[in-house]
Amino acid sequence: MDLLEMKFQDLRRRCEGAHMAHVYYGDPCEEFSLKLVETLVENGADMIELGIPFSDPIADGPIFQAACERALKAGVTPVKCIQAIRKLRSKGIQAPIIVTTYFNIPYVMGFTRFLESIKEAGAQGILIPDLPIEEAEPYGRMTIEKGLHMILQIAPTTSKTRLKMILEEASGFVYLISLEGVTGSRLKSTSTTLRLIRNVKAYTSVPAMVGFGISKRENAETLIQAGADGVVVGSAYAKIYMEKLDNPFEALPEIAKQAYEIKLGCKNRSF
Amino acid sequence: MTKGRFGRYGGMYVSEILMHALLELEEAFERIYPTEEFQKEFHGLLRDYGGRPTPLYYARNFSKHVGFKVYLKREDLLCGGSHKLNNALGQALLAKKMGKRRLITETAAGQHGLATVMAGNICGLKTEIFMGVKDIERQASNVNKMKLLGAKIKPVKTGAGVLKDAVSETLREWASCSRTTHYLMGSTVGPHPFPTIVATFQSVIGQELKQQILEKEGRVPDAIVACGSGGSNALGAFKPFIEEKGVRLYFVEGGGESLGAENSAAAFQHGSPGVLHGSLMMLMQDRWGQIRPSKTRAAGLNYPGRGPEISHLCEEGRVKPCYALDREVFEAVGVMCRTEGLIPALETAHAIAYVLNHPEEFSRDDIVVINYSGRGDKDIEAILRYYYGSS
Repeated sequence: MDLLEMKFQDLRRRCEGAHMAHVYYGDPCEEFSLKLVETLVENGADMIELGIPFSDPIADGPIFQAACERALKAGVTPVKCIQAIRKLRSKGIQAPIIVTTYFNIPYVMGFTRFLESIKEAGAQGILIPDLPIEEAEPYGRMTIEKGLHMILQIAPTTSKTRLKMILEEASGFVYLISLEGVTGSRLKSTSTTLRLIRNVKAYTSVPAMVGFGISKRENAETLIQAGADGVVVGSAYAKIYMEKLDNPFEALPEIAKQAYEIKLGCKNRSF
Repeated sequence: MTKGRFGRYGGMYVSEILMHALLELEEAFERIYPTEEFQKEFHGLLRDYGGRPTPLYYARNFSKHVGFKVYLKREDLLCGGSHKLNNALGQALLAKKMGKRRLITETAAGQHGLATVMAGNICGLKTEIFMGVKDIERQASNVNKMKLLGAKIKPVKTGAGVLKDAVSETLREWASCSRTTHYLMGSTVGPHPFPTIVATFQSVIGQELKQQILEKEGRVPDAIVACGSGGSNALGAFKPFIEEKGVRLYFVEGGGESLGAENSAAAFQHGSPGVLHGSLMMLMQDRWGQIRPSKTRAAGLNYPGRGPEISHLCEEGRVKPCYALDREVFEAVGVMCRTEGLIPALETAHAIAYVLNHPEEFSRDDIVVINYSGRGDKDIEAILRYYYGSS
């Protein structure tokens, strides 16, 4: 069992949902991102989704687009992101780390080399938002062979047939996209999301994490109570430090509070 | 999967949110396109509204100037002033039959945006067009036309405010409305099935061209020259000739100010395979896979990727990738103005410039066809500035 599976087992035992925090590494500088991850983990994030900035993040809304742009301007490269995993591990951070990257990054580096280096640095899995199941072979198999999870996504537009196809290949957890849109959109109504959770849970025992549009404790509460195994929060954190870019470290206490609140929303889970 | 692949290029690299829409589109295209009803309606509109067939014009004076026979396939005479309407009409009809209520798209030179709102109006579909702020500024006349026809223009400020950024923004918008809205992709780029659909609708250019040249010359041409970035006008002209190995095919991309990395849009000159906007293709990128901004005076060629099919045909050696520099392009406009009394679009002028500057590629008995993809009204100000200085 790896860190990710152990984390889900542990949370289940404590009747808690998981809280994964999504961070684009290097925005606005590496030092801040490292501190941000530490703060999130110390204050209620169970796992980290570490985003490698990409020049054209088509699944991301304005907040994360700006984050990518700033990080790239600051000179962040995929190799620096991978080194960051090692730095976080040497600081004693035990939280599972999922590396999120658009497909061109590992494609250009060489997929095998990419997997080997994130594995060696201490990551547990990868999530590639522009690699649907049709394109996932042979990459999914290569990922498993390297002892990593390939996290697959399911959307409100996913048909039943595709749902089954995706769940058959699922590893680690499945990422349910709560809404039709991009990251940082507002989750206006949860009815579609709740139906999505029900549909997925009916077919699989693989944990289901819900992301996109989650910014408040109440969002987390509703989703966890509806059967989700966890929530992903990303743009909501970036939004806080975005307003204090001249000294983003000043935003850390507020981010800590927000992370704590989200985690509260993940507790008291009824099975 | 092999569907939607051209050699190693192509594919469907999009978020799961959009997969249903792409699969729905693929199914609808395969079912509806071959029907007699669709063909009749499509070709009827191309004829009566668009003005097809467009003429194949023997450019006698230009031919004398270069020393071999040159024909122009006059896509500038298609309603709207460029080849873009062929694809826009086809996709708008398809979208209507699929029950979609709205069209979204992106545009750079404005020609595709204009064609889309024209087609949208014919089919009774609302049209929304994403356009980089830099392009809005430099293609003002087309922006005005689109507005007049009722399109909603959405300025895109992200990135460099050019085509690449507008495509990203349209894909994002589509993720939020794909059940009711069709993304009318303007070139042979993007995820499958777009490259196939666009090339199919544009191949009317090559089919006519073939028939016309056979009537006029009794044989196929020795060479066809077309400009491009995504590749829609080039593939449209090349398609029926791909198997005719005796016909040399030239694809002219935007060389920009110089071939230097920061000044060009010539992805075949300094690109490498990569994935952008849903497709694996030849791409301008840095060593880490970050997309490099492209640069050329021709907004319509200002895209860092070459569509998957044209990427494959160039890799195979069937199509020769070439480029023309901005300066050569403006000079070519002048030659066409003086010899034939025609003002070409800056994009089209790339193909003309290549023919003018590469005599080593053509011999005296050659019959060469330039796909004259669009007219230059939209570029008048830039052309005047080049010839007469700032106004």
